[in-house]
This record gives sequence, C-alpha cells and structure tokens, in this order.
Amino acid sequence: MGKTLRIALAVAGKDLRVELRSRTAFVSAVTLAALILLIFNFARDTAVVSREALVPSVLWVTLAFVGVTVLNRSFTMERENGALDGLLLAPVSRSAVFLGKYLANLAFVVVVELVTVLLVVLFFGADLRGTLGALLATVFLASAGFVAVGTVFAAMTARTRFAELMLPLLLLPFLVPPVIAGVQVTTRLLAGRPVSEIAGWLQILGLYDVVFFTLCLLVFPSLMDE
Amino acid sequence: MAIDPNANAGFMIAAYVVTAVILLGYGASLWFRSRKPPSRG
Amino acid sequence: MSTLAASAAQRTIRRGLVITGLGLAAMAGVYVLALCFTPIERFQGLPQKIFYVHVPAAWSALLAFSLVGIASALYLWLRDPRLDWFAESCAEAGLVFSLVMLTTGPLWGKPIWGTYWTWDARLTFTLLLFFLFLGYRALRGAMHDPGDRARYSAVVGIMGLVLVPFVHLTVYLFNTLHPKPIVLKPDSPSLPWEMLRTLLVSLAGFTVLLFGYVTTHYGLARRAQEQGEEGGHGD
Repeated sequence: MGKTLRIALAVAGKDLRVELRSRTAFVSAVTLAALILLIFNFARDTAVVSREALVPSVLWVTLAFVGVTVLNRSFTMERENGALDGLLLAPVSRSAVFLGKYLANLAFVVVVELVTVLLVVLFFGADLRGTLGALLATVFLASAGFVAVGTVFAAMTARTRFAELMLPLLLLPFLVPPVIAGVQVTTRLLAGRPVSEIAGWLQILGLYDVVFFTLCLLVFPSLMDE
Repeated sequence: MAIDPNANAGFMIAAYVVTAVILLGYGASLWFRSRKPPSRG
Repeated sequence: MSTLAASAAQRTIRRGLVITGLGLAAMAGVYVLALCFTPIERFQGLPQKIFYVHVPAAWSALLAFSLVGIASALYLWLRDPRLDWFAESCAEAGLVFSLVMLTTGPLWGKPIWGTYWTWDARLTFTLLLFFLFLGYRALRGAMHDPGDRARYSAVVGIMGLVLVPFVHLTVYLFNTLHPKPIVLKPDSPSLPWEMLRTLLVSLAGFTVLLFGYVTTHYGLARRAQEQGEEGGHGD
C-alpha cells in the first residue's frame, strides 16, 4: 500500500514537474477559460440577460469544456515520446500508475478551476459574499470523480486517431451528473440558501466521486495489458 | 373536453412509418451483410 | 475443418435472420393490433398510439444497454472474445432502438405538448444513452487491434452502465424542480385492458426483434473473426 502510494506520488510528481518547467499547458488552459468566458459575454442579449444571472451556467459550462481539454493532454506526452510503453514495462503496479496520473490531473484541473472561478467572479460580477469557499469546495468535489473517468478515457483515446474528438465525445456524458449538481448548488449558494438545501446534491457528488474513482482504479490495469 | 379522435393522425402515421423504416432498414442491412463475401479490413 | 467452423457462424447468422424475420412479422401484427383493434384514447386521440412503439423501444434500448454493460464486465473478467461480439451486437441493436425512441418521442410530443422536444427525464435520458452508444461505436471504429478494441470498449461499456443511475437520478431531480407546463400527461395511471394487451404484445415483439438482431450480428462478428483467422491475415 505504502509502495503504491510512493510510486503514485513519483508518477504524479514527474508529470507536475514537467508542467511547472514549461507552464505552457497551464497558461493555455487558463487563457482558454478566459476566452470561453469572453464569448459567453457576447453570446447574450445584454438588455434581457444580466451577467449575474448567467453565472452558474457559464461557470459550469466553462469548467466542463476546459476540464475536458486539460485532460486531453494528460497522456499526449507519453504518446508523442513513446514513453507509455516505458512506463508500463517498469515493474510497478498499474494501479500505482493510475493513481499517479489521477493525482497529477486532479492537481492541474483544480488549479485551472480555481482561476476559472475567479475569472467568472471578475467578468460576470458574481457576488459571492462569503460563499467563495463553499463554491470552490463544490467545484473540487465535482472534479474528483470526473477526473478519474477522464484519466481512464484519456489513456484509451491517446492510442487512437482523432483523440481530441474522441475524448470529449466519450467524456461529456459523464459530466452530466456533476454539472447538474454543480449548477444547482451554485444557484443556491449565490441566492444565499441554507446549507440544508444543498446537502442532498453534495451527497450525490460525493457518491459519484467514490463510485467512479473506485471503478476507474479497478479497470485501469486492463487498459494497459498487452 | 374530448378531442376529435382523428385529429393529428399525421403524427401517428409518421411515427409508425419511421419506426417501420428503421426496424426494417436495420434488418435489411443485416441481411445484406450476411450475403456479402467477407472483405474485412 | 475450417468449413465446419465457418458453417457454425453461418448457422448462427441464419438463425438470427429467421428470428429477426419473426420479430418483424410480429411487429406487423402489432401494427394491425394497435391501429385497428385498440381503442382510441379519449384525451390524446390518435397520437397516443405512438405509445405502443415508443415505450417498447425504450425498454429494448435500455435492456440492450444493460446487456452491453454486463457483457463488458464479464469480458474484462473472463476475456472471452464471444462476450465482446455479444456486447458489440447489443450496442448496435440498442442504437437502432434508441433511434426509434428519439424519432417517435418528438412526433408524439408535438401534438400532445405542442413542442417537438422537451428536456423531460425520459427523452433526455434516451438522448444520453444514444450518445453513449455512439461513443462506444466510435471508439470501436477507431481501434484496429481486436484485443485492444475489446478491452477498451468493455471499459466504456461498464462505465456507461454505472453512469446510468446517476444520470437518471440527477435528470429526474432537475426536472422535478422545473415542472413543465404539461397539458396532458401521456401515460395514464391505469391502462384499460385492450391497451395493456397491445402494449405487452408490442413489448414481446420488440424483444424478439432484439434477440434476432443480436443473434444475427453475433454470427456476423463470429464469421468475420473466423475468416480473418482462415485467411491468415490479421485485422
């Protein structure tokens, strides 16, 4: 168990260190989020729709698409350098590789999401009034499960042609429950509703995370067979 | 308020026709595939 | 030796086609039953009869999808290629039935609800199922090694099946929060006997058809694999 964790952290550390060195992926992801928000702003009739009203929708749509795009890159490095085979030939458990990839992806996604939330606050004038913490917690809760699914799918699609198209096609249906729950919670938080109203949705998010993380951990090894 | 029973017959006919086309169409495609000499690749 | 194996696949194909033929004949019977021997519903009129094809198609699509999920799980455990052929066959049949649902649904909705599409729980759910089937198929199309293809699509199959309850729950909750201005409720709480009978017969017909489709496709997959081996060239 300890060994698995150590290997996972090593894998995650390697991924994140590569990211930190170049920072291109991070900057591109954040720029993408900003551009999506820009388009959203113009995609409304300003006389009819206030920007505050759009906050929950805009936030979660942006998170969904940026999240999918970010996950696309998680295995492109290995694909381009043929390093995936090297990783698999190493005498480490496949679950450890999954865990490492997952942690790296989660860290990356979470940081990009944090910036996205702040951008939404800035561009759409969301009045968070002390709910910022709760909102961020919800966003992270929603991410934990979908990043697991995305890690598995990214590993699969990295080996196919049209990977950039295949990953969203497979992954977006899995975003439906987190987005539905996320928007419901966000709407209520912004309206200052009591926690009791959102507890049910948070439970659904939590259940989704646990179920899919476990499932992905179990199936990932079979992807890497030869 | 009972509707005229024959109103909107067009929708019903369209639905039944489309269903038949889809189900027969797929059945036919299976049949054609069974006839074709194998040329997978 | 290989001719014997080839004819086993051929026999499956032929059996499948016969069952499909029976299913289609049953559907013709259902059409007659629904259109001529079932009373017209008082509040919805003729469009209500779409119910007799829409609902059984939904049932078949969901059944097919569940079978894909179960076969996928079994495949990952047992690695028997026949389970992969079975999953692929069910996925294709499921795609066909969800297409029926997605076309008959709007045609039913327009006269009853005044709009072709509503994001009600059932239609939304079917649409998602349709996309999952498409994704499964697209992934298979993009992979050429049969072993990889089987394993990868099995993963998608299982994940899709586990996703279904979550989508069902969240979409249902989403919809109960935003009640639609429904003028008429399409499913009556209790069906008179003639309607129930027609529905059940249609259900049986669709199930036979599903069985026929899956058997035929399974035979085709088996034949293709055997011929691939015979020819000596890999996929």
